Amino acid sequence: MRAVIVEDLALLREGIVALLRENGIDVVAQAEDGPGLERIVAGHKPDVAIVDVRLPPTFTDEGLRAAVEARRRHPELGVLVLSQYVEPVYTTELLASGEAGVGYLLKERVGEVRAFIEAVQRVADGGTALDREVVAELMRARQADGDPDDALASLTPREREVLELMAEGRTNAAVARALVVTGGAVEKHVRNIFAKLDLTASDDDHRRVLAVLAYLRADAG
Amino acid sequence: MVVSTLATHASRWRRDGLFHVAGLLTSIVAMVLWTTGVIVSLTLAITYVGLAATLWTLLAMRWLARVERRRAAIVLGAPIEERYRPLSDAPRWSARLHALIGERATWRDFAWTAGWGWIGCAFSTLAIGLWVAVLGLIAMPTWYWAVPGGAKLGILQVDSFALALASTAAGLALAPLCGLLVRATTRAELAMMNGVLRPRDDAADAEADATAVPAHEPAAPPLAPSFELHVALALLTGLVIAVIWAAAGGGYFWPVWVWFGLAITVGVHLIAVRAWHAHRDPVRSLRIKADAYALISAVCWVIWALSGGGYLWPFWPMLGMGTALALRALWVYRERLPWLREQALVERVDVLTRTRQGALNVQAAELRRIERDLHDGAQARLVALSMQLGRAEERLGDQPDIAALVRGAREDAGLAISELRDLARGIAPPILADRGLAAAIEALARRSTIDITIDADPDRRPLPVVETAAYFVVAEALTNVAKHAGGANAHVSVTLEDDVLVLEIADHGPGGADPGGGGLTGLRSRVEALDGRLVVTSPPGGGTTVRAELPCER
Repeated sequence: MRAVIVEDLALLREGIVALLRENGIDVVAQAEDGPGLERIVAGHKPDVAIVDVRLPPTFTDEGLRAAVEARRRHPELGVLVLSQYVEPVYTTELLASGEAGVGYLLKERVGEVRAFIEAVQRVADGGTALDREVVAELMRARQADGDPDDALASLTPREREVLELMAEGRTNAAVARALVVTGGAVEKHVRNIFAKLDLTASDDDHRRVLAVLAYLRADAG
Repeated sequence: MVVSTLATHASRWRRDGLFHVAGLLTSIVAMVLWTTGVIVSLTLAITYVGLAATLWTLLAMRWLARVERRRAAIVLGAPIEERYRPLSDAPRWSARLHALIGERATWRDFAWTAGWGWIGCAFSTLAIGLWVAVLGLIAMPTWYWAVPGGAKLGILQVDSFALALASTAAGLALAPLCGLLVRATTRAELAMMNGVLRPRDDAADAEADATAVPAHEPAAPPLAPSFELHVALALLTGLVIAVIWAAAGGGYFWPVWVWFGLAITVGVHLIAVRAWHAHRDPVRSLRIKADAYALISAVCWVIWALSGGGYLWPFWPMLGMGTALALRALWVYRERLPWLREQALVERVDVLTRTRQGALNVQAAELRRIERDLHDGAQARLVALSMQLGRAEERLGDQPDIAALVRGAREDAGLAISELRDLARGIAPPILADRGLAAAIEALARRSTIDITIDADPDRRPLPVVETAAYFVVAEALTNVAKHAGGANAHVSVTLEDDVLVLEIADHGPGGADPGGGGLTGLRSRVEALDGRLVVTSPPGGGTTVRAELPCER
């Protein structure tokens, strides 16, 4: 797998590069600012770009804008955004900007090495990786908007857990691992959730994730 | 030892004596010069000749002042420093006069001539008189026989050589006392000279009008022995004189004139001491002037009373001095005059407004800098740390107990990161800095549990300090709506009208909000710190509207 990274702080950039290389991911180029992303993506055609939100020259949401633009221009490119904070507005913009793999993680998740590498691989393969804080924000917003007989309220606690893990972008197998249950049990929960939320069931993990996210974002966008 | 001490004292007394003899002469010159100069100048003031008279009077006063500074050398060893600008040689007299009047030193000379003309005679006569009396006593054997029937000394008739010798002894005994008294008058006079004649830095002089803090005390001979000694000597002398009067058989109570003279020296000494310590403070110098005028008035009244009353002439000098003092007081306290005070306050408010705005801007910029430093510094390092710990944890797969320790450390780092994140968000939410007020309010609305419509489109971004305040006003108001308005809808509008950012947060809830409630008070102080206004309208049953106006010019 070929990855590029855009991060202005050398300390973090080099750390992440070392981490990725140790785990068999080929980092083919690095950049330090927004325009740099477009340059190295165009030049190296990577599978995935890892981008910090705050970049020079403005040190605001430069990286996010560059990521959104890169997703528009390169429909096959997976983009994983790293941020110091959770901002649902940014999540929404990022998800809405393309069909390919996408991720939005808090920076400190790089410390959870196994999960981080999995997330990078998922995004490179066209999947989704959302931070659990992002999912929690989306759930809060969805609930806050809704009427009292919102479908979310009808989920059992276990079903909610499954829903949250799915929204993070995990496959059924990964959800089963995380909850220490069998794959069959997860399948059953997923069927119940889809029925309660009135979503069309699908066998494909990625499509199910997208359906869940679409549901959560329904009123937020 | 005794001889050398005596020689020192004798030399000092001799110099004091010379100083006062010269002083008597200059004081007469000063009195004549001041009186005639001023009268002639004023009388001729309306003619061109008046200008010439004034010019020549001022020049003569300068000459006198220079003589006086040199006279000080008799006791000080060196003349008092003088500083004059070169005389103007302009062809027109008026131009020369103009240059002269513009010079501070001219007014020092003028003040000295006036002051010395007034009191110099009394000072010098007193000092000289004391010495003449004492020397007369000492020299009695050489002249008593020349007076028919012997020299009369109180009740004593000195008509024999033995008595004359006794009188010499008395004179010798009184000499040290006389020397001390004369010394005191010398010191008082030197203090006056220092205050009036010694030049000060013109810049420092100007500054002295504005501030009460002395930049440095000018070097000068010390005033000790103290005022108390002077008072004691005066009392003693007064007593001796009274005893002599009694011994001489009474009659007209002439000692009262001596007492009067002594009281004047004590009064002048007191004023000199006070002036010495206060000449840089305009208010205190005003008090000194008041003291001096009071003393002069008292002298006038005593003279009037001692000379048998009659026409109440002291009234006139008192009236004059009172007027002068009142004018001076008016000048010193001019800032307290209502109209001038108002002007000063307006200027002060102007300055305060500007500096407060500056302070707030600096504070806002500083907070954002801190937020950025947190991001690039502490937070980044903690993330790097957490990453290193993560990598270490991966390699410790075969040592689960150590791996667990490392995981604990990584989780702690994660907590620290999230605490720093909350701290940074409290300063200003990132989206506000990134995207501005409208986007930040939209993000608020998205998170809120109520339906919110937004009408926010300011065409430019206000200063960070205003933007942050506006954001927190909207955030707090929306929180209140969610808490108290029972799920009602809310509408937020943000407009920029004539450099005033107007925020309105309206809901259709039950109303009746308490404008002094905790959340609203906090908002109000935030808004008022920016010279803004916060108005809460909340009639029962009529919804609540919070309106904030934030000026954002500059």
